[in-house]
Amino acid sequence: MNYMPGTASLIQDIDKKHLVLLRDGRTLIGYLRSIDQFANLVLHQTVERIHVGKKYGDIPRGIFVVRGENVVLLGEIDLEKESDTPLQQVSIEEILEEQRVEQQAKHESEKLKVQALKERGLSIPRADTLDEY
Amino acid sequence: MFRYQSLEDCPLDEDEDAFHALGEEDEDIDQFNDDTFGAGAVDDDWQEAHERLAELEDKPATTGEQEDGTVTDEMDLLGDHEENLAERLTKMVIDNELEDPAIMQAVQTRLPVQHPGGLNSSIWDGSAVLRRIRGPLLTQEMPSVSVLDYALPQRPPQARDEERDLSERALPRRSSSPVIGSPPVRAVPIGTPPKQAAMPNFNQQILCPKPVHIRAPIQQRYPAPYSERMSPNQLCSVPNSSLLGHPFPPNVTPVLTHLQRAQLLGGAQHGRMSPSQFARISGLVSSPLPSMNPKLLQGRVGQMVSPASGFRAFFGAPPPPAPPSAQQQHPPCPGSHLQNLRSQPQMFRPDTTHLHPQHRRLLHQRQQQNRNQHRNLNGSAGDRGGHRNSHQEQMQKDSYANLMLQREKDWVSKIQMMQLQSTDPYLDDYYYQNYFQKLEKISATEEMHGDGPKKERTKLITPQVAKLEHAYKPVQFEGSLGKLTVSSVNNPRKMIDAVVTSRSEDDETKEKQVRDKRRQTLVTIEKTYSLLLDVEDYERRYLLSLEGERPALMEERKQKICDMYDNLRGKMPSQDRPSDDHFVQIMCIRKGKRLVARILPFLSTEQAADILMATARNLPFLIKKDAQDEFGLSLLYLVLSRGEELQSSDAATELMQDNQWTELMLMATRELLRIPQAALAKPVSTPYNLLTLFSRYVDQQKLNFIGPLSSGLGVLLPLVAPCNSLLYQREGKGGCTVTVRITVHLCK
Repeated sequence: MNYMPGTASLIQDIDKKHLVLLRDGRTLIGYLRSIDQFANLVLHQTVERIHVGKKYGDIPRGIFVVRGENVVLLGEIDLEKESDTPLQQVSIEEILEEQRVEQQAKHESEKLKVQALKERGLSIPRADTLDEY
Repeated sequence: MFRYQSLEDCPLDEDEDAFHALGEEDEDIDQFNDDTFGAGAVDDDWQEAHERLAELEDKPATTGEQEDGTVTDEMDLLGDHEENLAERLTKMVIDNELEDPAIMQAVQTRLPVQHPGGLNSSIWDGSAVLRRIRGPLLTQEMPSVSVLDYALPQRPPQARDEERDLSERALPRRSSSPVIGSPPVRAVPIGTPPKQAAMPNFNQQILCPKPVHIRAPIQQRYPAPYSERMSPNQLCSVPNSSLLGHPFPPNVTPVLTHLQRAQLLGGAQHGRMSPSQFARISGLVSSPLPSMNPKLLQGRVGQMVSPASGFRAFFGAPPPPAPPSAQQQHPPCPGSHLQNLRSQPQMFRPDTTHLHPQHRRLLHQRQQQNRNQHRNLNGSAGDRGGHRNSHQEQMQKDSYANLMLQREKDWVSKIQMMQLQSTDPYLDDYYYQNYFQKLEKISATEEMHGDGPKKERTKLITPQVAKLEHAYKPVQFEGSLGKLTVSSVNNPRKMIDAVVTSRSEDDETKEKQVRDKRRQTLVTIEKTYSLLLDVEDYERRYLLSLEGERPALMEERKQKICDMYDNLRGKMPSQDRPSDDHFVQIMCIRKGKRLVARILPFLSTEQAADILMATARNLPFLIKKDAQDEFGLSLLYLVLSRGEELQSSDAATELMQDNQWTELMLMATRELLRIPQAALAKPVSTPYNLLTLFSRYVDQQKLNFIGPLSSGLGVLLPLVAPCNSLLYQREGKGGCTVTVRITVHLCK
């Protein structure tokens, strides 16, 4: 049954594996089980995937209920092509470590930037309402 | 008080009726207050009463027993073993403080035998309960399939067992009076899937605890009131239970926090506890227990013979011997589960204890399946075919499919469709409608070529709502003086008394004047745009309208076109249009250029020519103003190409003879060559015959250089105007239309 042709509707996506990107930067992969009119999602057998460089790690999370407003985008995963990736899967500990290192490097560079700007008399206010990650 | 939106809305005047109404309201409010909070609050459990009455209606046969309630129910359900156990336990109890009302109440909390579909039934209740739910999700009949039903092999007889099931499924009732401290802790978190669904012989029954109101005052009491009525779980849920071997001094905090207890009970209800919970519990209560173990394990078939704490045996011993039939039904599953537990202790296991046991079993089975499949995959050639097969198998065995029922999907799509309702889709959803029209046109033309419809493009048919005239009349009270001020979205109230004062000319500085002028131009552009959109829409309206209305429509259209023209040229017809200034101002702005382009097709030839000439006259200025250097260049190219076209056609023999044109071309090419390729701007569109044009005047190598079609701008300024004038001389009026088209194309 073709639900709402020509529109963006999630009904056709139910029971399929999806990748969901949240506003805080998390990437969730799970089976979309239920939706509602606000695009709140129920994800089943969810896995949080952390990407650092060419590596990624999966953390199994179980069932997720995501409030619709926190979703940036989501897309169906082609199960056949899913394994067709140049990325390398690593263990959770390793990826978390890598992530920590990356965050640290980012902080450092950010600090330097802010410092440099300050010296020149400029200051960029932190936009807390934006989705920055 | 509560009726009015803001303070100001309250009528200040002495309006008797209104005040009277207010007074009445107050009375109402007081009444409520009294009932809920004040002295009038009687702590009678209306829910309880209701349930009793409901049961009276439903099952007249067994009412007698039912009404006696707690004692008998518990006895029935717990069975003989529990009775023995309770007896044994009571012997161990230190017998004091039986009189504490809170504890007594806790003990005697009646099993909330819920009327199916009552307030506290959750969506996780079995089908029996769901059947009675009338909500947005389940409007008509009962749901056909749910995971739980699907999972269960049997559907037992409803009659007798429903009572039991309901009692076990039931969640603790809240105390109706908020006077007593914190809300009761739910032993079973709301929304937990039911412990079991309609399976009377399921072994969990015996271990299903009656969730207990745990109230704050109990905290530091001795576990006095052990009657045989308390189930073992209740005993355990009372903190500082003497189960632990010896009484604790009063200031000792309870062994298990409420949360932990809830988790414990939640896990216990399913008769299985994950290793993590065991660890938690055994960590907490270690030493006192060994003394308990022998007694507790008496009479228990310890399928789970484990070194873990006695609690485990207490709660989590799966099939106790009492209902052997249950055992027979489910021998494989607990065993397999146990084996799973034992064999893979190190594996990262998601916490599935909150799941229904059937559900969890399925999950484990699936996981095992996946693992097997992966193993197979690795074992085999690991080819895609194998992977696909396993994937397909997985699809077929996706037991979680259709968790969202068809009904629910329809409901969501219904809501989405409602949001698309509109009285005038062309107004509300212009782009979608136009897009589909275009698609249809394309497919229609394709069809004409004889292939037949290539693709079925299902179009979304949005619900059409008739246009209703909403004349909102604010509510009026009879006999009242004056009207209510009503503020709404369509009728917002005036917040600020802003008065527009026009400034005098003298005060303004030059800059301000310039700014104002620009702003005025912008306003003109916007107004003209509205007119343009209307004019463009007339065709559609024409088709939709009745015969009689059409002339009127035509008139309107013509009028609007004239207005647009006037807007463009500046409304000073008396001056015989000496100044192009207004027009030039419009053309300086990008949007203005586009506006002119869109208007040109609607104008008469003279008007169009007029516009063009104005453009041509001021071209250098315009080109200079062009922020992105596209305009001039593209125009030049187009003009040149037009010239080329004319040249190659018959009527252009004069052009050939005129040296001016040739000179012009040479100049152009020279300049083009001079400009280094780097400093180049990309034209908006490149006419196809430009290369041929240049080929006349240039030899081969230079041609290649020009190929990439770019040129600096400043150089071209002097070229363009003579170009234009030449063209105009040659083409005359007949050629104007073509030039119009070109310019239109250019301006887009």
